[in-house]
Amino acid sequence: MNIQEIKSDRARDSYYKITHDSGLTIFVYPKQGYKSAYAIFGTKYGSINTCFSLDGGEKITVPDGIAHYLEHKLFESEDGDAFVRYAKTGANANAYTSFEKTCYLFSCTDRFDESFEILLDFVQNPYFTAQTVAKEQGIIGQEIKMYDDSPDWRVMFNMLGGMYHNHPVKIDIAGTVESIAEITAEKLYDIYNVFYNLHNMVLCVSGNVTVEQVLKTADRILKPCEKHTIENFFKDEPCEIAQPYVEQNFQVSMPIFNLGFKESAEPLSTEQLAQTDILLSLLASPTSRLYRSLMDEKLINSSFSYELFDGPGYCAVIFGGESRAPKQAAEMIKSYISKLKSEGIDKEEFEIAQRAVYGDAISSLNNVSSISNAITDHYFGGTELFAYIDAVAQTSIEDVTNRLSQVLDVNNCTLSVVKSSETEV
Amino acid sequence: MNDIIRKEIADGVFFNSVSDSRFKTMRITANIITPLSAQTASENALLCGILSRSCKAYPDFTALSRKLAFLYGADINTSVSKGGDRQILGISASGLDDRYALDGESISEELSQLLCGVIFEPNLSGECFVEEEVEQERRQLLDVIDSEFNEKRIYANGQMIKHMCEGETFGVKRYGTAEKINEATPASLFRAWQRLLKSATFEIMYIGDSSPDKAEEVFRAAFEKISRKPEKIEVSNVRRADSVKRVSEEMELSQSKLVMGFRTDCSEPDPEVNAERVMCAILGGTASSKLFCNVREKQSLCYYCASRYDRQKGIMIVDSGVEGENIEKAEKGIMKEIEDMQNGNITDFELESAKMAIVNSFSSTNDTVGGIEAWYTNQLFDDSFKSVEEVSKMINAVTKDEVVAAAKKLTLDTVYVLKNK
Repeated sequence: MNIQEIKSDRARDSYYKITHDSGLTIFVYPKQGYKSAYAIFGTKYGSINTCFSLDGGEKITVPDGIAHYLEHKLFESEDGDAFVRYAKTGANANAYTSFEKTCYLFSCTDRFDESFEILLDFVQNPYFTAQTVAKEQGIIGQEIKMYDDSPDWRVMFNMLGGMYHNHPVKIDIAGTVESIAEITAEKLYDIYNVFYNLHNMVLCVSGNVTVEQVLKTADRILKPCEKHTIENFFKDEPCEIAQPYVEQNFQVSMPIFNLGFKESAEPLSTEQLAQTDILLSLLASPTSRLYRSLMDEKLINSSFSYELFDGPGYCAVIFGGESRAPKQAAEMIKSYISKLKSEGIDKEEFEIAQRAVYGDAISSLNNVSSISNAITDHYFGGTELFAYIDAVAQTSIEDVTNRLSQVLDVNNCTLSVVKSSETEV
Repeated sequence: MNDIIRKEIADGVFFNSVSDSRFKTMRITANIITPLSAQTASENALLCGILSRSCKAYPDFTALSRKLAFLYGADINTSVSKGGDRQILGISASGLDDRYALDGESISEELSQLLCGVIFEPNLSGECFVEEEVEQERRQLLDVIDSEFNEKRIYANGQMIKHMCEGETFGVKRYGTAEKINEATPASLFRAWQRLLKSATFEIMYIGDSSPDKAEEVFRAAFEKISRKPEKIEVSNVRRADSVKRVSEEMELSQSKLVMGFRTDCSEPDPEVNAERVMCAILGGTASSKLFCNVREKQSLCYYCASRYDRQKGIMIVDSGVEGENIEKAEKGIMKEIEDMQNGNITDFELESAKMAIVNSFSSTNDTVGGIEAWYTNQLFDDSFKSVEEVSKMINAVTKDEVVAAAKKLTLDTVYVLKNK
């Protein structure tokens, strides 16, 4: 077992990376003076991993939504529900499935060791029967319908559908009522055995904890795993978008839009991540000229936002929000990007953006859940949290200018609009 | 939790501070508290947004945003909420603690001054706010009201309160109405601003490592120039429902919403408030609650079915997303869980786990700047500030009999259904 301290002078904090004998990578970020602790146990397995092979064996294809279904069902064991076990310790537990990962988490202020044991135990001990699997159809069916009624959710998936020809990122995380009907206990075991191998997982704990305390339980409960090679298959995805415009009628008071720029899906380095965050801040945050023009022309309101959206085999920059004239808003964003590319970045605007991104990164270290979530995301993405903060402080205007030339191709973006049937856009 | 220090720095103006070195950020909020009323709510809400957009020193939105971003991504933001029959306008400034400044500047001092600037020295043209700023903010607020329709769970909960509290002060929405927002003028907003400075109660909250003395001084000096006449706020709650009101709406939806509103016959400062909190948590406040275990897990009727209690207003709301054909079944399922509690069917496990969940959520608030601020802000209308430990002790002292008594006092007031066509 190897324990490495990761330190940041800028953040005035440090945390530990442990390569555990069981095969699991563990991070511990102690916070002085905190009463609460937060633990997250995640696997690099999400809704997009629907076709894969193990140790070079044959390709296996599974139904859409199965990762999320598994997340729901893992809470059950032969002698009851993990939520009921947590209820005895007072911890606040939850789980979520995203495109590229599934995570189980809890926060507590008391009896950490007991809750931690519950987490490690239930995630390592699946129990699926035909009966318990069938029961979940109703609950998840209602969850899918709730998302069907969410315009924010629909506008995003419609955009992903317009942007991607083949990549499964365009498929709803929970699947459909039809696809989840194909899920059986046997299929759940199959994917569990492939992806819930400790070598494919990460554990991150922050707050009122010590390395010794975490290891004491981990040493006892973690079951050593043999390392396997998992290969994920995604159909070839062209660089070009599938469709430039997608529209859906919906019960909304005002149209909502997502404008997504399809980017190269090569994994981003720490530096590229920092450069992109600064670039987007100077481009579209409330300090920017673009934001001001969009507001002055009444094309956006305070719901406007932007994000870098990336994972295995996909990467996009997304702008979105409510707009009474989404097409005009999209045109203005595109023409401002073109202008910025030809005229270059203003030095003052760069400095303001750099300081803002730096401040946000430092501020996020206040909170035990944001710390653990950020470390998990960086780990699965192949980067590291403190190196990212250093990279933000060290990025130059030339770096950002160079980054701008590689991204945001105004001829390769998809506009998705959700609007009421009476509205013309 | 570090102690809170409270000082009255002008008539009806209180400066509260918590000194804490654990955090990388500081936060200062001015809560402007005024009676909730259909006449003034819209104008007040609009004013709150206008104030936070700019000030004399940074006369437009871009200039102020750039100043804040330069202070390492600091923020000025607002919130408009209801605390029982009061409207609370919150304007906050938050940013990195001084020790993380790359160039050694005092972020906390600059932020205190900026916050005072937006409240006391807005961007005016004579005795009016600047028309352009008013129009931009008016549009923002109207859009926010419109967008509440988009998320159906929020919309359904809003409709519930509207129907349940029709004719009561609490029935007024926190932003008032679009109609009243449209009526406001740059001159009427100026008068609203003057009126609030004079008559509202101000509760200022400061949380951070740097000393609050500078901030206190800045606010004290600002209020010295104002002749204050704080207004008293009357609160009245309906304690029981005589009959059940049923309201339903139809829309093109995949999932229907069922929202049930109860009168609890118990609100601050009644001593039974903590029993009511525990009762509500046992019913539907946690993932081991009766509604979660039975209506969601056993009957597989819904993805969410939860209850929450408003201790200022003395109401409890249960909301759920269900299949249209299962609405009746879900309502019966919810009522059955309540009757169970009224009949004393509460296990020791349910009682203890609900208490633990409540105490855990209290203790967690102590570990974030926003959590500490919210903890004390939520107690502004109580007799005195209590620490997490004190309230936790009161929660832990609640007995099963008290929970049963709290459940017995529930009366169903309104059932609101948003049904798929």
